[in-house]
This record gives sequence, C-alpha cells and structure tokens, in this order.
Amino acid sequence: MSNYLKSALAVAVVALVGHVLTRVVPLPHVSVLFLAAVVTSATLWGLGPSLFAAILSVAAGSFLFYRPIYSFHVASPQDFADLIVFVVVAVLTGRLAARMRSQAREIAEARLKVQGEALREALLNSVSHDLQTPLASILGSATALETLGEHGEPRARRELVATVREEAERLASYIDSVLDLSRIRAGQLAPRLELVELADIVNAALRRKEKALAGHPLRIELPPELPMLRLDLFLMEHALANVLDNAAKYSPAGAEVSVVARREGSEVVLEIGDRGRGIPAEELDRVFDAFYRGSAHDGRPAAGSGLGLAICRAFVEGNGGAVAVLSAGPAQGVRVKIRLPVPTAAAASEEAADE
Amino acid sequence: MSDAGPRILVVDDEPQIRRFLRVGLQSHAYAVVEAATAAAALRAAVTERPELVVLDLGLPDREGFDVLRALREWSRVPVIVLSVRSREDEKVRAFELGADDYVVKPFGMAELLARIRAALRRQVEREAPEPVFRVGGLEVDLVHRIVRVDSAEVRLSPKQYRLLQILVAHAGKVVTHGQLLSEIWGAAHRDDVQYLRVFIRKLRSRIEADPARPNYLLTELGVGYRLRTPDQLAGTS
Repeated sequence: MSNYLKSALAVAVVALVGHVLTRVVPLPHVSVLFLAAVVTSATLWGLGPSLFAAILSVAAGSFLFYRPIYSFHVASPQDFADLIVFVVVAVLTGRLAARMRSQAREIAEARLKVQGEALREALLNSVSHDLQTPLASILGSATALETLGEHGEPRARRELVATVREEAERLASYIDSVLDLSRIRAGQLAPRLELVELADIVNAALRRKEKALAGHPLRIELPPELPMLRLDLFLMEHALANVLDNAAKYSPAGAEVSVVARREGSEVVLEIGDRGRGIPAEELDRVFDAFYRGSAHDGRPAAGSGLGLAICRAFVEGNGGAVAVLSAGPAQGVRVKIRLPVPTAAAASEEAADE
Repeated sequence: MSDAGPRILVVDDEPQIRRFLRVGLQSHAYAVVEAATAAAALRAAVTERPELVVLDLGLPDREGFDVLRALREWSRVPVIVLSVRSREDEKVRAFELGADDYVVKPFGMAELLARIRAALRRQVEREAPEPVFRVGGLEVDLVHRIVRVDSAEVRLSPKQYRLLQILVAHAGKVVTHGQLLSEIWGAAHRDDVQYLRVFIRKLRSRIEADPARPNYLLTELGVGYRLRTPDQLAGTS
C-alpha cells in the first residue's frame, strides 16, 4: 500500500524537477524524466506501483507540460503521440524491471535456502559425529567391563567406569547445546524479560560450570550497587555458561578466569576473561559462526560442538544486548564483552517493597 | 536384601532407571521398593511405609504430580522428584505441591545420594526443631527474634525477619517465589517476583559478607530461594 504512495511521491518529485527545469532550459521530451520515476518504481516496488506511476505521469505531464498548461487536455497531436509512446514504453520497462526484481529475489531466496541446506548438513554431520564418538566409547567400555567379569583388575575396572561416566557427560552436554540451537532455529526465542539480579545469573552459570572451571582460579567482581537488569534469566544463564565453558576449555589448568561487571552509563558491561592462547586477529570475526572451533591451549583442535558462541550471541541479542570477542593476540587470552542495557525504570520499584 | 537402612520407594516406569537406582541405593545400605506406575506407587506408599520417595514425573497411567498431590494429603514423607525436563515451571509446580527436592535427568548417583541424605536429615530436624538456627557465621534465635552475623547483632525490618524465619523453617529446601510472596505480602502479591528480588537484595546486604556472592541465602534461578544448612555449607569448598 505504502509502495503506491512512494510511487506517487517519485512522480511528484519528477514533476517538480521538470517544472523547475523547463523554466531554465527547454525540455522537448519531458516524458523521459517521468520514465525515470516509472523505472524506479518498478525496480524498487514492483509492477503495480510502476503502472500506477505511469498513470500519474500521464496525468501530471498533460497537466503541467503539454499545452494548454494547467489542463488535462492535450492539444497538439505530436504531444499526444508522445504520451502514447510514453505509456507503451513505461508499461514495457515497468514489466521488465519488475521481472528483474522478482528474479533477484528468487535468486536471493535460493541462495538462502542453499545456505540453510549447508548449515543443516553441517549440523547433521557434526551431530552424528559428536554422538557416535562418545557412544562408541561407552558401549566399548561397558562391554569390556562385562568381559572382565569377577576377576578384573580393580584399576582396569576403575578406568573403564570413568570412561563410561566421562563420555556420558560429554554426550549430555552436547545434547544440551543441540537443544539450545534447535530452540533458536525453531524461532522459540521469545525472551521472557523481567527485572533480575545479574549476580544471580552469574552465580548460577558458575555453579553449572563448576566442574569445567575446577583448577582455574576465579576472579569475580560484581559490585553490589549494580542496577537490576531486564533479562531472560535462562537465556542469559545459558549464554554465560557457554562463555565460561570456552574460557575453561581454551586456557591451561591453573590459568585465571575472571568475571567482572561494571556500569558504563546506560549499560552494564560484563567481561569474561581467560589467560589462554587467545585468538589470531584473522579468526576473530569467525568465532560466532556455528561450528567454528578454535584450537585448545595445547594446540590440538578443541573438543566441543562449535556452537557455544553462536548460541551465546543469539541469546544475548535476544536480551537486547551485544557481545564482542576481543583478543590482544596469541597467548594474550580472550575477553568476551557482553553489553546489557540498563532499564530506565529499574530504580522505580527499588524502594517499593520494604514498607 | 538387608532391611538395615531406611526404606526408599523408587517410582519410575523405565526398568533401566529403576535397575541402576536399585543397585546404587542398595549398595549404600538402603532398602528399595519399586513401583512402575502411579497406582502401584500410591499402594506401595501405604503398605510399605517408605521413609523417602524418589518420584519420576513421567508415568504411564497418571502424572507424577498427581502422585505427589495424593501423597501429600496424608503423608509428610520426603519426596525427591526426578524429571528429564529441566523446565523451571515444573520445578516450581513440584515444590509447591510439596516436593522436597528436584533432580534433573541425567544425573549422577553421587548427587542423588547426597540429596537423599540431606532430605532424610531434614526430616529428623523437622521433628525436633532447634530454637536457634546456625549456619556458618549466621545465627537466628527464633525464640528471642535476634539475628547475629559473626556474633554481631543485625537489625532487620519486621518483613525481613519474617522472610528469614520462613527460610529457616524450610532450611536446606527451596522455597518458591510464590510461597514467599503470599506468606509475606498476601496471596494478591503472588506474582510480584520483582518485589521479592529487591527485598532479598536488602536482606543479603545485612547478612552476607559479599551480597553478590552469597554464602547462606542462595538463589534457585527462576524457582525461589534456599537457606543453606550447615552440611550444605560444608559440602561446598
């Protein structure tokens, strides 16, 4: 609907320009000017608006430019022929441009579909690989335990049991992240925003990742005067847990992991830092891609789904925030900077409760 | 099968889950009774008189919530709910129907055992409540209504004290937002969770050394709050 309005506006602009120009220089074929409005309408807004623009152009042209001026009557047969030619050309170019436009859209859609297919295929490959590997270890260890029978060496038994547990845990955490991702892609990412304590969320994420973070000294700075934020508790907690997981995974045992929050104007900035091997500058903009995996602190490819930061970004942005990954270079560690808006009404309910 | 330890009723329709629970619990000297359906669970609760129930929420005949509700009409036996779903609204519902704890599948045996021990101990303490509750440096004298932190008396507003009192009465257990709100501000305020958050922030600033990293008054994200008992405090580093 508003596309027709834009077409009308384009014609009006052309008419005005033409009107001013004819005062300065004689324009024998003003219809060419109107053609510009028609073609613009066709390429930007489609066939309908372009035909509408053509009709308006005929009206405006006969009213403003063809004698007698300021009348819809066209006296000269030459001008009349000019108008007929204009209408034919306008309709033809309008249709042509509109078709090009829809083809361009089809191409874009097809490309998106191909990207979707590629992503789905990559997901499927990644899922089947990441599910099969731990499953193979679990099945193998369990059957090995069975064959050990009563006489198995206690150490062998312990090792096999530990393998079963570790691999099952890996499987569980992998399934968690696939569920997260499918939730985003299914469009169920409707955040339930409420005023919450950021500290509660940080503490919950730290508790969930306690095991992964064991062996890393933690530096937590959460000033008590931080304002409450309007967030979805669970999306934010997941996002943070993913970042903490990376911090633990990409830095050697004993290296500090820090979580520091501070207020910066109308935002709260939450920074999660590690002392790991960092990320080369040329890879920084790829870290948010699904299935991107850096190499672990020992240089080998890191275990994991490569979904953590992709999920983190989707969740943080779903909360109205922004996330950036900074690294000063190799061996300098990584800082993940999450910016969250401070709600304007945060202070309003602060005093209400304690009466 | 020895009958030495406390008797636990395990309610789950998956035979594999029941098997590992049976083996795991029996090896820690618990006696185990099994039920695969809601009907069998309610029967066993009457005939076997278990000292604790481990209840799965997804049962073939009726919802696990129904078992919990029916059980709570006549019994205060501790119930630990098991569920594959980590959905917070389910946790809230389970706690409000009287569950004592909640474990999300998949879980490890060590975690379940710790929760069972804690629930059994709370049951004992509930039968003989102490007039003074102590955890770490926090001391709540329920008779004289005095709160001390590291031996120094702390002044609380009447509502802050009421909140603390409720948490002490359920120490170690999650108390949901809805339960706290309707106890303190009345049923009309059941949904004003923001009130509660502001309020908890103030209470923490009086009783916690670092309110942002609380040691006693913990948040169960999206569910409610829990006051730690001394052994829960000892259980963390």
